[in-house]
Amino acid sequence: METQTNNSNRNPSRSPNGNSITGSWPVWPTVDGSLGLSEDESVKYARRFYRFGFAMLPWLWAVNCFYFWPVLRHSRSFPRIRPYVVRSAVGFAVFTALLSSWAFTFAIGGEHLFGPVWDQLVMYKLADKLDLTGWS
Amino acid sequence: MAPNARPRSILESLGEEIIRIITPVSLCMLLVVILVSVLNTDSSSSYSASATSIATIAYSESSSDSSWDKFLGALLNSLVFVTVVTAVTFLLVLLFYFRCTKFLKYYMGFSSFVVLGFMGGEIAVFLIEKYSIPIDCITFLVVLFNFAVVGVLAVFMTKIAIIVTQGYLVLIGMLVAYWFTLLPEWTTWVLLVAMALYDLAAVLLPVGPLRLLVELAISRDEDIPALVYEARPVNCNDSGSTGGVPQRRVWRDKRGEDSVNGSNHNSNGNSVSGENVNPGSNSTLNATAVPDSDSDSNSVVIGHTDTSLVRAEEGRAPERDAELSTPLIGGRMNIPPHQPEDDAASESLMLEGIGLGSSGAIKLGLGDFIFYSVLVGRAAMYDFMTVYACYLAIIAGLGVTLMLLALYQKALPALPVSIALGVLFYLLTRLLLEVFVVQCSLNLLMF
Repeated sequence: METQTNNSNRNPSRSPNGNSITGSWPVWPTVDGSLGLSEDESVKYARRFYRFGFAMLPWLWAVNCFYFWPVLRHSRSFPRIRPYVVRSAVGFAVFTALLSSWAFTFAIGGEHLFGPVWDQLVMYKLADKLDLTGWS
Repeated sequence: MAPNARPRSILESLGEEIIRIITPVSLCMLLVVILVSVLNTDSSSSYSASATSIATIAYSESSSDSSWDKFLGALLNSLVFVTVVTAVTFLLVLLFYFRCTKFLKYYMGFSSFVVLGFMGGEIAVFLIEKYSIPIDCITFLVVLFNFAVVGVLAVFMTKIAIIVTQGYLVLIGMLVAYWFTLLPEWTTWVLLVAMALYDLAAVLLPVGPLRLLVELAISRDEDIPALVYEARPVNCNDSGSTGGVPQRRVWRDKRGEDSVNGSNHNSNGNSVSGENVNPGSNSTLNATAVPDSDSDSNSVVIGHTDTSLVRAEEGRAPERDAELSTPLIGGRMNIPPHQPEDDAASESLMLEGIGLGSSGAIKLGLGDFIFYSVLVGRAAMYDFMTVYACYLAIIAGLGVTLMLLALYQKALPALPVSIALGVLFYLLTRLLLEVFVVQCSLNLLMF
């Protein structure tokens, strides 16, 4: 229940720190507003999150998009940060589509689609087999 | 939202600050109650008998013992636990003294990964089994891996959206609290009382390890990294009007100087008045460190302490620094070899205690979250009536602690008042109120 009191301050009269942002509203590139990062730091962080996400971490891409949401929303702002955030969003969408299609196929298809392999892959049977749920 | 449109009344800012700390506490408690009521309904006794951890090392409760035996056994367990906690905290102070910050930070990150990954995974497996969700192991592993890694990044490594960090802290608190509820009943209650007393001693006594830790941090002008929940600050004055420098409410010396004094705590300008601060001073937060044991893992205790000492730099939001953690290996090695998650880690030293953060927001140690949730979770194992009573008691205790914080203006232990009220209300409800309500309902008088 955090009310975002500093969410994308609209303060066009102040010159933002860092590069000039022509014709864009938000001063702060992050969703935290003035509690978040400055623009220069944002470039570093956006790039770092984007690169780390390639280690099978689509959730990191999603968090990246959420964090830099003002960058995504205003399409002409923050030209240095935007490519990374957009690519993160695309990567997250693609990965989620792939993963969910596999998961749904698995869940809905069930045994008659996969045959005996289904039993070997499904989680609760696997948990029983490996006895993961015994506490100690 | 236009910045600084109108002066906010003290009621708004005060109420908002309190709400911002009570909401995550309530959320954590709610999640633990839900987990407990979903997962523990069928086999609570069998699970608790098999849970071995550092908190049951001296005595494992079995239902056939007499009450006095159980009480003595629980006392013994709690004594062992508190001793371990004290030792670990002193170790943490020592490591901090020798500036092993990097090592502690990475170790703490690793232990968080274990908590999120293995404990979270285990609870997820429980849920999957209970509801027979047809998820396959590949998807499950990918999702769990993502969850754990991003959690570690969010809490320790990098700066990320505040709400993500806060969410992950609440989740870590929930996971550890759920594990604590698996302990036997008497042990849990005596342990809670023992931890409250320890908290009181460690923060307020001059030889208390946490007090030492904070004084060390103040004198060195460094941060103690730890797992601490920091509420989002209520900005009375927006940064736009002050040239981009967030004003910070800090602990300031009572004598009016702004210099950091290492030997005594700095007191503070009122936490809710939104005063601006001389950029020369530092802010600190003190909290008590409490390890919580992971049931049936072989007790690697990790210490987390977090204090952000902020240097008021121009335009920089307060950076949360590296976190410390201290491993302690001890306890029983009763773990069968096919459970890798038990070998790894997780008695975490979490900080407890309440204080002010660098930006003036209220900070509450994660240990407080955990023990509050353990109390409410344990109450949930009995009945929902006790849950309501204990929840109200804990929130009232938290309110009292916040008032004391504003009054005394230094770091305080957040456990004692709430745990005392909570235990009292649990006993009263269970022994007195329940009989009354049941009789009324049976005779169709009320409810």
